Amino acid sequence: MSEVGRSLQTLWVIFKHEFSLFFISPIVYFIGAGWLFFAGLFFSFAMNNYNSGLAVPSMTSVLGSMAFLLIFIAPAITMRMVSEEIRTGTHELLFTAPVRDWEIIVGKWLGSWGVLTIFILLTVPYPLILLWRGTPDTGLILAGYLGIWLLAGAVLAIGILTSSLSQYQLVAFMIGMAVLITMWLSDAFVSLVSGAVISDVLTELTLQSHYHDTMLSRGLVSPLDIGYFVGIMVLSLFIATQILGTRRWRA
Amino acid sequence: MILVEGLTKYYGDFRAINSLSFHADAGEIIGFLGPNGAGKTTTMRILTGYMPPSAGSASVAGFDVFEESLEARRRVGYLPETVPLYKEMTVWRYVDYMAGLHGMRGSGRADRVDEVLEMVDMIDRSDSLITSLSKGMRQRVGLAQALVHSPEVLILDEPTIGLDPRQVREVRELIRSLGSDRTVLLSTHILSEVSQLCSRILIINKGEIVAEDSPESLAGRLEGAMRFFVRVGNAPPSEVAAALNDLDSVANTYATEQGVEVTASRENDARPAVAATIVNHAWDLLELRSLQMSLEDIFLELTTDEEMFEKAAVEEEGEAA
Repeated sequence: MSEVGRSLQTLWVIFKHEFSLFFISPIVYFIGAGWLFFAGLFFSFAMNNYNSGLAVPSMTSVLGSMAFLLIFIAPAITMRMVSEEIRTGTHELLFTAPVRDWEIIVGKWLGSWGVLTIFILLTVPYPLILLWRGTPDTGLILAGYLGIWLLAGAVLAIGILTSSLSQYQLVAFMIGMAVLITMWLSDAFVSLVSGAVISDVLTELTLQSHYHDTMLSRGLVSPLDIGYFVGIMVLSLFIATQILGTRRWRA
Repeated sequence: MILVEGLTKYYGDFRAINSLSFHADAGEIIGFLGPNGAGKTTTMRILTGYMPPSAGSASVAGFDVFEESLEARRRVGYLPETVPLYKEMTVWRYVDYMAGLHGMRGSGRADRVDEVLEMVDMIDRSDSLITSLSKGMRQRVGLAQALVHSPEVLILDEPTIGLDPRQVREVRELIRSLGSDRTVLLSTHILSEVSQLCSRILIINKGEIVAEDSPESLAGRLEGAMRFFVRVGNAPPSEVAAALNDLDSVANTYATEQGVEVTASRENDARPAVAATIVNHAWDLLELRSLQMSLEDIFLELTTDEEMFEKAAVEEEGEAA
């Protein structure tokens, strides 16, 4: 078997393991229930506005609020993924099995992304209701969904990174949330710093500007935004792999 | 099958193992014997690709554990000291996951999972959650995951720890049958275990190999020596030990609370001379019996001689004063 084929098979095995582990613990059902509750709440607000003639039928306000919810949901989903292996010592199995460190990290990340993909798909009935009741901009909705899916992948990668930092889930969760809130709001710091370069950098780094300003509100899918999310995924998973690797040295 | 040369590992400034060299061939069961903290687990973790050595090299089944780590790891089954289990999984799913990580797939994988669970006598608990298993059962599930990919080399860190006597015997039988066509390296501090199972023993202490031989010839080393225990009524053991140590036929003495342990060569029986000395000092001889020499003695002698020397030095000081 080729090296690529082997890697793909390893990723599939780890993905399947991680994905199915979620559904034998109750936590993911709690998070999912919360997610659906808020999705329904935001959608009913949007429908009220539409029915009373204040807004056009769209998913923009719903997806925008859901995107913000991801900041709390993503670290809650990923907090256990690496830290628990270290705490219970099961990483010894992974370290001595014929799998590479990056395959462990990426397989875990794909498992968490699979769960959030299901969460996101569970809200698809709402745009279908819009299509049934009115004539929304389908392109805008599709771009909004693509964006929130990419955003989910990026914030989960950051969650995996913070989970590899500590053997305590709660620490991983708190650090993950702190990092994500900072990234979400980093353009708010623009007014605090002087210098055009720094404020440009801060604006570019902001999570929400790459989603809200383009894909969500304008239906614009630009390579820059996709590159931004993919870049965050690659960078976070790379750092997570390096941190996991240091466990071999630290013993 | 296993080739270790000059293996050294530092944790910061602490040297866990120092320039370890040994080899093991196919069909051999090697016993790794040593006190806690001697470096057994460190060596095993290097051999299984868990961590790289600081210096030296090790290869397993012809593949360097660091340079060709994945190839080496494919050929090694490893049972760590504390069996790492996903407690929320069922026994079958857990072993199946480990088989998957080793690149097995399809129906052959499912059959093999059944087969190894049969081997460790856990097949009727396939659908039990691991969290509900006893320690002995968990140990056997750990053994199943080490075996599932039919590795050429098995590395078992204290495989019989926590098992009841009947399970210990079963696991030993299993290891013996596995050892017929593959290489097994097992660590333990149960001496009877190595003498029953292993074709060769490596005694390791403070990160260095202090003896390497078959159980028979290690025991044979002591054949030439005999030990006996002397108890007298009206003199402190240290005084008796000092007096007996002066005899030509006595090799070594060691004073305990109750009496004196005497080591002497077998050709030159020291017992008459010892008896005569005791009579000359007008001591009351209460007991003179021979002591069984065992692997345990060799082990203690090889791994604790530093403390013995210290003890002897303290005794000498006491005498001088």
